[in-house]
Amino acid sequence: MLRPVGNITKMDPAELKMLKKRTDAATAIIFFIVAILVLRLWHLQIQQGGEYLQRSESNRIRVQQLAAPRGNLVDRHGQTLVTNRPRFNVIWIREDAPHPDEVIRQLARILELDISELLDRIRAGADQPRFIPTRLKEDIDWRTLVQIENNSFNLPGVQIEVQPSRNYLHGNLASHLVGYLGEINQRELEMFRHQDYRAGDPIGKMGLERLFETYLRGEKGRSYVEVDVRGFAQKQLQIQEPLPGNDLQLTLDLQMQKVAEEGLRDAAGAVVAMEVNSGRLLVMASAPELPVESFVGGIPRALWQGLLDDRRAPLLNKPVQGQYAPGSTYKVITTLAALEEEVITPETSFQCNGSIIFQGRRYHCWQRRGHGQVKLRQAMAESCDVYFYYLGQRLGVDTLAKYARLMGLGQKTEIVLEHEKEGLVPTAEWKRQRHREPWQDGETLSVSIGQGFNLATPLQITRMTAAVANGGRFYRPKLVSAIIDPEGEVVQELQPEPEREVGEVSNESWELLREILVASVMDQRATGRSARIKDITVAGKTGTSQVVRLSQIEHFEEDEIPYHLRDHAWFTAYAPAEKPEVAVTVLVEHGGSGGAVAAPLAKAVLEAYFRQQEDPTLPATAEQKQQDEE
Amino acid sequence: MFRFDRRLLQSFDWVMLVAVLIVALLGLLNLYSAASLHKGFGTSVFIKQIYYYLLGFLAIMAILMVDYKVLTKWSYPLYVMTIFLLLAALFFGSEVAGTQRWINLGFFRLQPSEPAKLMLVIILASYYYRKDTGAGFTFKELIIPMGLTIVPFALIVKQPDLGTAMMMIIIFVSMTLFVKLKWSTLATLAGIGLSFVPLVWLFYLKPYQRQRILTFFNPESDPLGSGYHIAQSKIAVGSGATFGKGYMQGTQAQLDFLPERHTDFAFSVWAEEWGFVGSLFFLACYFFIILWGLNIALTARDKFGVLLAFGIVALIFWQAFINLGMVLGLLPVVGMPLPLFSYGGSSLLTTLAAIGILMNIRMRRFMTGS
Repeated sequence: MLRPVGNITKMDPAELKMLKKRTDAATAIIFFIVAILVLRLWHLQIQQGGEYLQRSESNRIRVQQLAAPRGNLVDRHGQTLVTNRPRFNVIWIREDAPHPDEVIRQLARILELDISELLDRIRAGADQPRFIPTRLKEDIDWRTLVQIENNSFNLPGVQIEVQPSRNYLHGNLASHLVGYLGEINQRELEMFRHQDYRAGDPIGKMGLERLFETYLRGEKGRSYVEVDVRGFAQKQLQIQEPLPGNDLQLTLDLQMQKVAEEGLRDAAGAVVAMEVNSGRLLVMASAPELPVESFVGGIPRALWQGLLDDRRAPLLNKPVQGQYAPGSTYKVITTLAALEEEVITPETSFQCNGSIIFQGRRYHCWQRRGHGQVKLRQAMAESCDVYFYYLGQRLGVDTLAKYARLMGLGQKTEIVLEHEKEGLVPTAEWKRQRHREPWQDGETLSVSIGQGFNLATPLQITRMTAAVANGGRFYRPKLVSAIIDPEGEVVQELQPEPEREVGEVSNESWELLREILVASVMDQRATGRSARIKDITVAGKTGTSQVVRLSQIEHFEEDEIPYHLRDHAWFTAYAPAEKPEVAVTVLVEHGGSGGAVAAPLAKAVLEAYFRQQEDPTLPATAEQKQQDEE
Repeated sequence: MFRFDRRLLQSFDWVMLVAVLIVALLGLLNLYSAASLHKGFGTSVFIKQIYYYLLGFLAIMAILMVDYKVLTKWSYPLYVMTIFLLLAALFFGSEVAGTQRWINLGFFRLQPSEPAKLMLVIILASYYYRKDTGAGFTFKELIIPMGLTIVPFALIVKQPDLGTAMMMIIIFVSMTLFVKLKWSTLATLAGIGLSFVPLVWLFYLKPYQRQRILTFFNPESDPLGSGYHIAQSKIAVGSGATFGKGYMQGTQAQLDFLPERHTDFAFSVWAEEWGFVGSLFFLACYFFIILWGLNIALTARDKFGVLLAFGIVALIFWQAFINLGMVLGLLPVVGMPLPLFSYGGSSLLTTLAAIGILMNIRMRRFMTGS
């Protein structure tokens, strides 16, 4: 029976009694449950309160990434060039510093920093939770470290953080090749998002560090740490050790590289040395050096700007990125073309009076007195420009270009390095397209002695010389010979890569060319005579490439010519002449004459090579021997 | 009906009002601490909760104006409206963390499952009141109230909101047991209920829900996963020890170890900062309200008032028990606010409205039907 809606009557007593009984039961249930809750509270807070208090003091498990030691770079004999070292940074933990003002004042004195500089850093980290450290100064030296450790009682909140970083055992040696590390940027994070990178991680920014990043970086480790309530590590729970990166064995010879860089000190330029029968590079030097040591932990803005502004272009890796007129080293190509195209025989002679008039213009020989009646061998040995003007006239620019290309100019060598330049082999067609002007025959004369529009990199010239030495075989230049895992096992061996063989050139031409290159060093009045080595025959060619037209600097005495107007000095050579092993090219920017400046350095590098062949453990020079003994 | 008797003012339930005000102040005090870690967010949460309280007390005033017995007339339209709101939440609701629980009203995001709980109390009270108990309900007579429960239950399960859905069943069971049942009916209900447990476990519960329940029985198995809430809450409560760490000094809460600390785990913060002594004080205040509610049921002038008051007490009590049991590590984590204490507009307004109904019943205990 349904009661009428809205018309509520008093309950009948029986029903009221029943509901009352049930309400009492409910009250009992509620008391019972509240008792359970209170007992539980008693258990948690009173009985186990102390234990939980401790647990809340050291509460959370934090996962920390452990940086993997990066792979080393070693030279061909296993000598280490670049390795790792710990770097000590000063960090600041706000949570732990009750009296920051006094601490900061003291710290500024120890670090010899301005207080405002420290405050700026602290302010920059102010948004983060108080237990997250802020870095105050990177890479302090051990004296500062000791000072801070000794004063740690007076410096609450200040701690030392150890961070692995690059250690350049030989300073900035081969700096352009090695490259440097920097903090990963947004774009790189995006690029490598499937790999284990995090903001703040180092990554190779240039050179081999960048190109072989995946081999060098290793695998990060993980450390599980229990942290206390302020976020500080309390207990090490579990460690997954990081896996070190693989080492790179370079083809470089450290001692030769040192000799080359010593020779370029205070100058600008490049030295390249290459095994002629494999393309392995023994030396890749670029000057001025890149101060990679100062790049550790971030490149100071002023330093970078200074590098950008330096007119000697220290940021360029000159063996592959520097393009220069090859100067008289180009005569190798002119000779080869003349012999192959049979526009002359070795016996053909021309008269050099110091200059010739061509189409109404005068073209000088470097030797203003003239060479008199010269044949090919003497013309090359004494680098007679007039002789090669005649050859150029007979060959034409496009034939020269064909042989220049055969010898590897005007194209990349495909070495594994960034921003390689291809140089320039001018042709009539090229000029029409590029400059919208017809080719002038007079320009062919300039091209035939390696001037004019010609451009080549030191690496290209080295390859050319190596190809002459080995009879026309080209290899892809190699910098890395092996990738070695942390246990010392070779993971991957990088074999020489033969690229092509110049089949168009006859053996007679090669032999003749080699003969006159020997003469260019060994003849009495040879321009390359300062490259001679005791007991070993060197073949080579000097070059002096004009930066400006002769007429612009005629009014200067030789040593008064402004630096940037001086000629580039070239020398390219191979040795031993009888059984060639190594080719060397030296370029000194604005160095003056190739014979006087470049050839002696090439000689020093070659000497270092042969010394190393006898005993690879021997230091290259007496001076270094002394240093090593210390 | 709107004629206001002087006797009504005389019998105004000051006791309940003061008790609720005390718990509300404790709740606000605690919320200020719990939400303080996130500066901007914390302030807005705190201010919002104050607004909800003010709105809730206005609702109480409004509810007191009208005799509670009109609810017997309005219960069905209100019920249908609630069902519509639940449907609206499912179809037009805003999705938060994979659930469809909210209807965006612009100024306020309503969670209709909260008023649905109160609505179920009202509709069941009104049904059981109108149905003469006689010698006790048979199973057949329970089909209608079961249906009335199942519809909102199903809609809430669909959101999904396991905790609230469970509350619907608990309300139904509590209120049904309160009225007279035949023993055979009770046995049948128990049988059906028990046989549903494995079916629900196997076919209905989502993996994460099953995980939560399993984790409850072995919380150490996954200290950083499902057991994290329980473990951190137990550490918070336990580390409060006798006198607590002090107001705003609870490290578990202030250092972000404790999840959901201004909603479901609000009491963890309280227990951590005020310790066993403070917790006892809180429980005393809180359960005074509940016992006073039972007293209201006892002194109600009619059966509807008794049923309604009892239902409301059951609603608040079971939520509080489940919440506290969860916070203290006695029950699995189900997502249940502590009425009056946790942050959240829908829950707070519903609870205050329910309190208003209790006060209404109390105020009119001497009135006789016209």
